Amino acid sequence: MTDILTARNVAKDFGGTGGTLSIIDGLNLAVKKGEFVSLVGPSGCGKTTLLLCLAGLQSLTRGEITFKGVPVMEPPQGLAVVFQDYSRSLLPWNTNLDNILFGMRRVAGDARAKRDRAAELLEAVGLGGFGGHYPWQVSGGMQQRVAIARGLASESELLLLDEPLAAVDAQTRADMQDLFLDLARKFNQTCLLVTHDVEEAVYMAQRVLVLGPRPTKVVREVTIELPRERDQLETREDPAFLAARHEVLSLIRSMRTRKAA
Amino acid sequence: MTPPLLRGPVRVAVALAVVLALWQAVHLAAIVPERYFPGIPAVLAAFGDMIASGDLLSGWALTFSRATIGLIAASLLGIGLAILSDLSPVFGRGFRYISDVLQPIPPAAFVPMAVFSLGLGTKLYAFVVILVTVWPPYLNGSAALEAVSPVQVATGRMLGCGRWTLLWRIKLPSAMPEIFAGIRYAATISLVAVVVSEMLSGSNGIGFMIYKKAFALRTADVFALMFVVGLNGVLMNGLVSLLRRGVVGWHQKMMERQE
Ligand SMILES: Nc1ncnc2c1ncn2[C@@H]1O[C@H](COP(=O)(O)OP(=O)(O)O)[C@@H](O)[C@H]1O
Ligand SMILES: [Mg+2]
Repeated sequence: MTDILTARNVAKDFGGTGGTLSIIDGLNLAVKKGEFVSLVGPSGCGKTTLLLCLAGLQSLTRGEITFKGVPVMEPPQGLAVVFQDYSRSLLPWNTNLDNILFGMRRVAGDARAKRDRAAELLEAVGLGGFGGHYPWQVSGGMQQRVAIARGLASESELLLLDEPLAAVDAQTRADMQDLFLDLARKFNQTCLLVTHDVEEAVYMAQRVLVLGPRPTKVVREVTIELPRERDQLETREDPAFLAARHEVLSLIRSMRTRKAA
Repeated sequence: MTPPLLRGPVRVAVALAVVLALWQAVHLAAIVPERYFPGIPAVLAAFGDMIASGDLLSGWALTFSRATIGLIAASLLGIGLAILSDLSPVFGRGFRYISDVLQPIPPAAFVPMAVFSLGLGTKLYAFVVILVTVWPPYLNGSAALEAVSPVQVATGRMLGCGRWTLLWRIKLPSAMPEIFAGIRYAATISLVAVVVSEMLSGSNGIGFMIYKKAFALRTADVFALMFVVGLNGVLMNGLVSLLRRGVVGWHQKMMERQE
């Protein structure tokens, strides 16, 4: 299978008053079409910065990123980000349906067809009756699903998800994980999920990339030897799940003790 | 919680009654000589006479339309300047100095200078009103455009918005509530500026009428006219609120919800 997204030797510095701050250095990664890849790393290591760079929303200091073989300079069509701050990324002056229609602004088709499609997507994320509501009239979990529907509406092939479930309670989180997996398959999405929850990273993905401390890069790649079909009870008890979880957790722990030493 | 009876029109009526009662009390106590401080019946009679003669309505129409047109022009100009400041930071910084200097100048100070260069009439009103009314929409607008959430801008860029679409679909809607707060404030300034210009160099309108009646020592007429000026403010605020509800009603509902 071909790589849909690659990063080669990527570095990102932020210039400040007190000199430059190196956030990412020498980062390489590749995501194949149709894959579900998780990125885990300690808080503040530069995960959001990396995602914004991958999406063409922030410029690189060095290196190259390609999407479908083309170098990324500006945000390319076919790539959607679900932002960490999802509630603020929805436009409060637009209804949920209009937010999704805004996601379709680069999609061809007449207005009628787009409206039907937007309604279908709301239905798919379980918000059939909420198209006329404003984002601030629905719960955080529902806002998150609107943001995902908007990403799908842009006819994206690659979804970059920035800690989408960090703010929801445990039960909702499990339901949403399954909803994501379901949507990713139904809409043929390649997914790159950023999370700091190792269990979530393993549960969702076929591959987990572990990021090191700042300036960050991929320090380990763990392939998850589990069938594509996941189940909240069985998968989490599977020896392959436990082994992968152990590997990632011990790696992160060793990074933490090394930093403390 | 305010009891429901004290809300809206009832509250206005109560406040008005209190003011009128105080007024009449001061008049009856004769603290100020009667001919400088007429009682309510005399003011009402003066009001009635001016309405009957048609003077009041024609003067009011002139003053109110000048203030409204001035407010609309100044608001559009203020929004335009705010957009320009957002598109070009160099212009924004430079213009900030100009606004800092012009903003504290009261409308009355512009009139003498404007009379010489623009003469008496429409051009003078337009100049004075716009020059003092443009600031609240401009200042609020440029601050709000600067404060647009980076996540919202990133969202627009991710969806392929160029600079103009970003402005139109993200930045302006996001700044609109603040701009309207500025317009609301500007509405009062516009009325004040028109009345002052009419007093200093006009030949008609409520301001001119106040000036003329004051020199004729027709105090009851002056008070009736001042009352009309006050009502103009209420009317103007009502119109701005209506427009505001239409354009940024979402924001008002969102704020109510958060309370
Ligand atoms: N625009 C910016 N300018 C300067 N520093 C930034 C900027 N954005 C992020 N940073 C810094 O980069 C580091 C990584 O941030 P971030 O990518 O948000 O981490 P994570 O998502 O892994 O928690 C943080 O120390 C943050 O303060
Ligand atoms: Mg982050």
